[in-house]
Amino acid sequence: MMHKLLIVMCLLFIAGAGYVSAEEIPDSLKPALPSDITIYPDSGGNVAVIYWFPSADDGAGKNIVTGYALYRSPSPKGSFEVIDTVPPGPNRYIDFLPIDTTVVDSGAPFSPAPVTEVTLADKDNDHGHAVIVKWKTSADDIAGSPSNRVLAYNVFRAESQSGPYLMRGQSASGDTQYDDVGSKEREARDYMPDYTDYYYIIRTKTIEYHPGHKDYFYIVRSITDNPDNYRETSPLQFDGTIYTDSQVYGPVQCFGQWFNSGLIPVLIFVICFTAITVFMIFRARRGAELFVRRLAGIEAVDEAIGRATEMGKPILYVLGLGTAAEIATIASFTILGRVAKKVAEYQTGLIVPCYDPIVMTVAQETVKASYMDAGRPDSYDENMVYFVTQSQFAYVAAVNGVMLRELPATNIYMGKFFAESLILAETGALAGSIQIAGTDEIAQIPFFVVACDYTLIGEELYAASAYLGREPVLLGSLKAQDYAKAAVMIIAIVGFITINLNWDWFVNLFRVAN
Amino acid sequence: MAVTKKISLLILAIVIVLFAVSWIAKTGTFEDTGMPLGLSVRDGFLVTFAAFLTLSIFSFLYKDNPYYKFAEHLFVGVSAAYWMCVGFWSTFVGNFIPKVSEGLSNFFEVPYKGFDVFYFIPLILGIMLLLRMSSKIGWISRWSLAFIVGTTAGLNLIRYMRSDFISQVSNTFVPLVVDWQGFGAFFSDLSLNASGQLIMTMSNWVIFIGVFCGIIYFFFSKEHSGFFGGASKVGIWVLMVTFGASFGYTVMGRVSLLVGRLTFLFHDWLGLIN
Amino acid sequence: MKRQLPLSLVFIFGVFMIIQYFVPHESSEWIFEFLLDWIYIIGIFALALGIWSLIRVSWDKIKYRKDNWQYSLVTLLGLFAMIVFGFDYLRNFQTAEGLQNFMFVHFFDYIMIPIQATMFSLLAFFIASAAYRAFRARSILASLLLIAALIVMLRFNPYFGPISPYLEKTASWLLNVPNLAAKRAIVIGVGLGIVATALKVILGIERAYLGKD
Repeated sequence: MMHKLLIVMCLLFIAGAGYVSAEEIPDSLKPALPSDITIYPDSGGNVAVIYWFPSADDGAGKNIVTGYALYRSPSPKGSFEVIDTVPPGPNRYIDFLPIDTTVVDSGAPFSPAPVTEVTLADKDNDHGHAVIVKWKTSADDIAGSPSNRVLAYNVFRAESQSGPYLMRGQSASGDTQYDDVGSKEREARDYMPDYTDYYYIIRTKTIEYHPGHKDYFYIVRSITDNPDNYRETSPLQFDGTIYTDSQVYGPVQCFGQWFNSGLIPVLIFVICFTAITVFMIFRARRGAELFVRRLAGIEAVDEAIGRATEMGKPILYVLGLGTAAEIATIASFTILGRVAKKVAEYQTGLIVPCYDPIVMTVAQETVKASYMDAGRPDSYDENMVYFVTQSQFAYVAAVNGVMLRELPATNIYMGKFFAESLILAETGALAGSIQIAGTDEIAQIPFFVVACDYTLIGEELYAASAYLGREPVLLGSLKAQDYAKAAVMIIAIVGFITINLNWDWFVNLFRVAN
Repeated sequence: MAVTKKISLLILAIVIVLFAVSWIAKTGTFEDTGMPLGLSVRDGFLVTFAAFLTLSIFSFLYKDNPYYKFAEHLFVGVSAAYWMCVGFWSTFVGNFIPKVSEGLSNFFEVPYKGFDVFYFIPLILGIMLLLRMSSKIGWISRWSLAFIVGTTAGLNLIRYMRSDFISQVSNTFVPLVVDWQGFGAFFSDLSLNASGQLIMTMSNWVIFIGVFCGIIYFFFSKEHSGFFGGASKVGIWVLMVTFGASFGYTVMGRVSLLVGRLTFLFHDWLGLIN
Repeated sequence: MKRQLPLSLVFIFGVFMIIQYFVPHESSEWIFEFLLDWIYIIGIFALALGIWSLIRVSWDKIKYRKDNWQYSLVTLLGLFAMIVFGFDYLRNFQTAEGLQNFMFVHFFDYIMIPIQATMFSLLAFFIASAAYRAFRARSILASLLLIAALIVMLRFNPYFGPISPYLEKTASWLLNVPNLAAKRAIVIGVGLGIVATALKVILGIERAYLGKD
């Protein structure tokens, strides 16, 4: 008896467990929802058009979607009834609404005036795939007034005059423009090919209903072979208010431009700056004396190398976390080159742990070249410059270890630094090394200022390479930077005056459009 | 010497004992939650090991020691391999293979996207980079470097010209007198409120003068003397105040990081706090 | 060949990137995206070079019994273990399962994450010792820095009684106004420095990164 009871209980338990597990299909196995679902009225509000782009698991991904089920209810919390099931693929479904014809239409129904003077044009200064739609608002749209009966404008687009028209977006009442921006990707859901005729309709929507019409709510469900495995949207509102469509406008085509005229200010700056730099470099090459003031942080580099030599201890050079593509890192390479040359001359040790493998490669080239320049190619050892890891704090842990074990006389930090700046600089300070830092990462400068003996702030890092070499060409470009700064100050003063006199034209010269 | 060796052996013994105790205790705690024995032993070890590593790193604050060295070297090895694997699977297998070889795409089970001859160029440049390992033809790797550096230099030149230079200059144009409606209105509404007219106007002045003097501080071709000296001194003052403010601003954030770590030790590992 | 070709490559690609910025057309975007993709792919090859360097330096340490050579064994052990797990060599090499390998994930969760978080939390101690360092410095600049730091640090502190709200206001003014001015001055300078350096790179004036011979 006991045995039988036990067996029955076990069977019940297994069945129960099976039931529970069937109920709970893990989220990762469920099909994805269709995207870009838009629902809007048509035929004077008698039908609802539901449009969607297939689910990611429809013909792709998990490839389990066997179709879509549509449900409708007059209220978002009411009972949703299935209205239809449609096959997979992109879809545009038309649902004939249950209009209540028993309600008597008393008097002439309100119908807002359509928008007028619609202009369609390709969007300027872009890569194509966009049209700008402008219009004159409906005569019934009294923007700002509480009695305004116009709610919004919907923009519809089709590739042929007769449609089908798909809703592209909505603008608020009072608005006169909509930027219809599509995608350039062929496989994207809103791909909008260039050099194709487009037709537009602008719909004026109101806040009122025809008698018998009302809002509805829809749920779209991605379904699979297994009736328990589906995913559905939350209730989506269908807006059944009165609307008036404009006439069809078009055709218009969109296309990309070959020059972005909005960027002319940038172009002018680039040309001017290049011209000044090249001019100053030529002047420097012809032997003009170019004065640059002394910079304590840079002179300290030379002293520090001397000190390291006296102490017989190595120099630690940290290039930061930047990639070789970062300009701060490139400036740091140049400084590394100068340091390595001095190090080679004095026969001091050099340690360069690297965070990025390409930076390591370049740093090896740079240091090797410096040793050759100094006439000591034999002293160059490939293991002076080595890769540690591309993990921020593992790199810091390793560099900290070097600081405490090798006890370098001088630590030089030049390049891009992030949160690790303070850990490095403090460890170095506690180990008693002389420290020189330089970075353009503004958030980290304070930590270097506090914990290092000398800090090159921002632009000084870029100037340092020119200083250390004292090569006329590099100094020439430094001069060009100064001229640009002088220009900035003059522009700032003029801008300052003009903005206080409300002359916006000058300020607008510096506003760069996208 | 012998004494220090004895002490370090003693410490090692204590660490091993503590590790074992923690392992057993943690296994017990996991088992209490209904976990099978095998899994409890494993997770007990992992949590204890994580706590050991955490304490090893903290021990660095006292001084460099074998435990820190162990954690540091383990971290370097593991993280280097970690990023290599991530790079291999996400970029190489995810982005490159599907565009060059159907056979390899099938091998790695990634969807083949059709042959794209242009993706052979990075392959060649990548191989050139690897030639660095040879001392004879290592110079070929410079071609790949030249490609990377050239491309990004062009990109950065234009990007910074626009974002750091032109936009910043135009943002400096601010009205010197905010919302001026005559002296009467100015004095009657006088307040030290941040959105008050006095403070707003003063702030605009400080911004303008601060930017101006800051730029003068960064002038390289003039000696810092006379007017230039004064202005650049104001500039460096503004810079220092700013550095102090952002230093102070960061302190709280850093302390909360420490709190996070202590929570791991006292809650996840020792279970002392809830 | 060894120097001129790389320099001309730098020039060509640099100038191309500048020009493409002003060309919104799709074909320019297309090349731009290609170039960026290429850089990523080359980066993977570079990573192999980096791992090679790490192995070589560690191996040399072990071979020549340099100081702390034993720890290099730990590095190599961690490296190879993680590579084996990451490529999931023992189980199924052919699928992109490497990153989901049980041991790979656990090494990440129980070795990398705790050490990383602890290293990061060391900042709390270091910021304290840095503040102390600033406190000892006796110059106008250091004092300015310290006072500003103190005001901002103590801004939410209720213990100063009636001056607390003023402290808070001053702190937020400091963070909004002088901060903005100084950052702008730095950013303008940095912007110019970057543009000038990039220009020098493209024109082949700054060429330390290419080495010699």
